[in-house]
Amino acid sequence: MFFVTYLRRELRRRMRQAIFIALGLALGVGLVVTVAAASAGVKKAQSGVLKALYGVGTDVTVTGAVPGPPAAGQQVHKPIRLGPDGPEICTTSGSCTSAAGKTVDTMITQYSGISDSRVAEVARLHDVATAAGGISLQDSSVTFGSSASSPPLSSSSLTLDGVDTRNLSIGPLSTASLISGHAFTAADTDSDVAVVDSGYATSSNLRVGSVLTIDQVNFTVIGIVRQAQAGNPPDVYIPLAQAQAMSVFPSSLASEVNTIYVSAASAADISAVTTQIERLLPGTTVTSQSSLASEVTGSVTSAAKLANDLGKWLAILVLIAAFAVASLLTMAAVARRVAEFGTLKAIGWRTRRIVAQVLGESMVMGIAGAALGVGLGFAGAAIIARVAPELSGVVSANTGPQASQPAGGPGPGGGPGSHTVSVPLHPSVTVGVIVLAVILAVAGGLLAGSFASWRIAKLRPADALSRVA
Amino acid sequence: MYKLTGVTKLYQKGRRTVAAVAGLDLVIEDGEWLAVQGKTGHGKSTLLNLLGGLDRPTQGTVELNGTNLGTLRETQLTRRRAESIGFVFQTFNLIPTLSAAENVETALMPLRTPAAKRRSQIASALDSVGLADRASHLPSEMSGGQQQRVAIARALVKQPTVILADEPTGNLDEDTRDDIIGLLERLWRQRGLTLVLVTHDTSIARRAQRVAVMTNGRLTIHQATDSGVPPIGGTLV
Repeated sequence: MFFVTYLRRELRRRMRQAIFIALGLALGVGLVVTVAAASAGVKKAQSGVLKALYGVGTDVTVTGAVPGPPAAGQQVHKPIRLGPDGPEICTTSGSCTSAAGKTVDTMITQYSGISDSRVAEVARLHDVATAAGGISLQDSSVTFGSSASSPPLSSSSLTLDGVDTRNLSIGPLSTASLISGHAFTAADTDSDVAVVDSGYATSSNLRVGSVLTIDQVNFTVIGIVRQAQAGNPPDVYIPLAQAQAMSVFPSSLASEVNTIYVSAASAADISAVTTQIERLLPGTTVTSQSSLASEVTGSVTSAAKLANDLGKWLAILVLIAAFAVASLLTMAAVARRVAEFGTLKAIGWRTRRIVAQVLGESMVMGIAGAALGVGLGFAGAAIIARVAPELSGVVSANTGPQASQPAGGPGPGGGPGSHTVSVPLHPSVTVGVIVLAVILAVAGGLLAGSFASWRIAKLRPADALSRVA
Repeated sequence: MYKLTGVTKLYQKGRRTVAAVAGLDLVIEDGEWLAVQGKTGHGKSTLLNLLGGLDRPTQGTVELNGTNLGTLRETQLTRRRAESIGFVFQTFNLIPTLSAAENVETALMPLRTPAAKRRSQIASALDSVGLADRASHLPSEMSGGQQQRVAIARALVKQPTVILADEPTGNLDEDTRDDIIGLLERLWRQRGLTLVLVTHDTSIARRAQRVAVMTNGRLTIHQATDSGVPPIGGTLV
């Protein structure tokens, strides 16, 4: 193993230079790995934002059109008006009574209804795995003071999702974890039962078995869930049929849904499924995770830009610099060994044998750089995971079914009608990135060796030996 | 046998063209010891390079055993050097990171000699120069004389027919010089090598069978008498 002995001894002789070259390559490669890991983490966070809105397995969401303002001259039922003696509650027949001490409950839908027969039509489309209908509502209560000493007005609201209890694999409950009680079953389709979000249960002092009154119907709490993502999940989930039966403003949703959750047969089919649904249901809003991704703003988007633009170019620049330094140092080392190579040529070594020796030395430095670089990349990813703040994704309420506020109302994070989801950043180093890192580092070493090899190939032994003499 | 006919080697030095060797005719018989003397820059090393196939003449022919070296491709020249020509340099030119045995082994690598045969040839070569006990020592752990012995072993290990030595004692003290020349002479006699030795030292040159003097690229042959061996031949120029 003369080749290995010569290689090993030569690297040991110029250990400092070899370490320097390997470190340079490691730095470039480490940066590539870290940026790729951060990018992957941000993508995962973006996906987490979307999953928080649509749930696991939901590829496409169809929502009804946003209800427009009433037409000129159209009779609109106003449940509350200001009468001569103060606020009054009015019935649909037009008779009004004093609102003092009374509570007005208004169930609002953000989206117009879609006939629930359309859900089955969507499910039958080509490349659709499954489809389920849902209703998203906001229940606002206003209680008027009964006397001059009591507060004139107090309000509360809760968000409500009607879910298809026969198909919970997609939709808002698909990401939830059950923490007490039990989930819906198909038998609950027509039952007055509810599953509540853990945050709402705590704030409203609800537990399994509690009774919750919504739109004058008593629902028994059968389960309490926690959503996987720290988004703004609805407070209460009830069977779809019960949601359809509610008195909804501006119009009833009987036999209708206002959201259809769709799962495609494969990721490659999502685009085709989206097109089919748009043709089948014109006038609705059809969004997929990828179309929603472009509407997500907030720190998750900034982080994505940082990783993809600045991070990518920084990694490329550092890699180029590392390659250049490695090449220069290797050529300098070859220049110092001109007499050695001239002697070897003189005693009968072919150029390619000498080149193989130099390339072997370069490759060892490249492999060392790769190993160090992957280690640095892992360390970089770990540092990012430790110090990076939680990211937030802000989506306009009009583009997702889990609206936390009615359209036009103030949002918690991003402005009017917006919906904020917080997701952690978990950078991840994949096997593909490790392979890329190794290839880059070895390529860098070989590139450096190639420049030096070119020099060796052009070396005339007589010239090389005359320099020593 | 070497036969040089009308050999000229020109170099460009800036705008000037310099004739390192000019119109040289020379025959070196098999087994002959030819010493080449001359001042620095008068073409001695250039002549050695032409004989070793390290350089090609601008004009004329250099024949070794009937083959015109100037017509061979680079790979063929390299092969010829690997098989038939051993070099000994003034500055030893050992690989500093390799031991004595490994330096000798570098001469056998191009011949793809099997490992076992390689080991025995290396041991024999080091033994012939009196360095069997230094096989594992690095050049930095040896004296100048010992390093030159290793270089000689490297030149001899492949059983060449020609040894070209360029000032082999130039970097050595007087006593060591005598040892090295004595060694070369002994090996020349024992193996019937063709030995071409470049030297400044007249006392060394006179030990050869013939002395050639290079002056401004031109060669003059003188007969030597101290060798105790009748001159084989030569061409008076």
